Amino acid sequence: MLFRATISRTPFSAATLRLGPTAALHPRSLAVSASAAPAAATSFSISDAGLESRGFILHRTVCGLNLDQLNTIFVAVGFPKRDPDKIRIALENTDSLIWIQYEKTQKPVAFARATGDGVFNAIIWDVVVDPSFQGIGLGKAVMERLIDDLVERGITNVALYSEPRVLGFYRPLGFVADPDGIRGMVYSRKQKKK
Amino acid sequence: MPSRYLLAVAAPSSLFPALSFDSHGQLSNQTLFPRGSGQGFVRASRNLKVYRLKANFWDTIRSGFLKNNTTQIVDPPPTLEEGEEAQKLPEEFVLIERTLPDGATEEILFSSGGDVDVYDLQSLCDKVGWPRRPLSKLAAALKNSYMVATLHAIQKSPGSSDGNEQKKLIGMARATSDHAFNATIWDVLVDPSYQGQGLGKALVENLIRALLQRDIGNISLFADSKVVEFYQNLGFEADPEGIKGMFWYPKY
Repeated sequence: MLFRATISRTPFSAATLRLGPTAALHPRSLAVSASAAPAAATSFSISDAGLESRGFILHRTVCGLNLDQLNTIFVAVGFPKRDPDKIRIALENTDSLIWIQYEKTQKPVAFARATGDGVFNAIIWDVVVDPSFQGIGLGKAVMERLIDDLVERGITNVALYSEPRVLGFYRPLGFVADPDGIRGMVYSRKQKKK
Repeated sequence: MPSRYLLAVAAPSSLFPALSFDSHGQLSNQTLFPRGSGQGFVRASRNLKVYRLKANFWDTIRSGFLKNNTTQIVDPPPTLEEGEEAQKLPEEFVLIERTLPDGATEEILFSSGGDVDVYDLQSLCDKVGWPRRPLSKLAAALKNSYMVATLHAIQKSPGSSDGNEQKKLIGMARATSDHAFNATIWDVLVDPSYQGQGLGKALVENLIRALLQRDIGNISLFADSKVVEFYQNLGFEADPEGIKGMFWYPKY
């Protein structure tokens, strides 16, 4: 409801977006008020045009992505700070990535990438949204497009590792935890039993 | 009761597409993996370093076991005593060497060099009962994998020269990675007639060692419920800190 009033060509200020638990910026309201773009091949919750009209630019390659700014978002959401050179290598060896840039500041505000073998399996990593821009559907926007890209390539096994507090973010996107009793496992050097 | 070694399936077969669709790429098997003359596989041009494990110490131990051929020894990878290369995992080395009842010798060779004949791989996948996948896709998956580890059994008839070797693919495990932070292990399989000897364990252990050596800090996989314990024994933790593996619209 609140959001309708602020929809215009000019992007909203960060203040409007700082959401407390009571703010009712439901992603659905964004979709309803999105400008009627011509029917896209796949219908996303927010269309590309919808994002653009709100001052968000979609990118599907690393071109123009400032890795230091990306690293800042990683740290802001609680990931360990990583060596930017290593991040560069990781991105060079990433099958698919999507990021959203906030036009006003030119900074990245949402990001997700996927690695895999290009034919059977893909794993989605590093799904992040700048805390100041969370809750308005940007995470969903990158995820939907990333999945769409993988599916377009014929990759049918798409997986990820989800922290417990964001299981509810992935479920509506179509993800199922431990299907058929399959468990995600991570190697830990101190774990090994002889 | 001997612990029956379960077939290790990192990526469950139920999630593989059941239908064999036309390959999206136009890869020709012939181009990628031309058949060698009668040999069944073609050596990729890589630098292979073969380290023989026959230290005298192990010979002595082994000679006591030769009478009873069902006892297998799986040696840990060699730690070279002297020199700069201590602890460095060679790309290829012998895990087991034994004599068969008919006098032939058999070596089980581990390699992280990724030398896999895609026909042999498909045949191995058939043996473990996995649904068929298009050869071109198998080839592409191998090519796009960061590391492919294999187990080969090399049999030499008694008293013959090297020319009479039979090399057979009996195990494979591969990992995809972003070359910096994460690696994920897929498709772990061992020929059923070679299971129960600790080979799957050795295969995965050495794959992990090779990955760690390349500084990949996060090694993950997805395990069928039946093999969760197998991987726990290798040092994997399920749902660490409550982190859950999730799949997109899985086909059960």
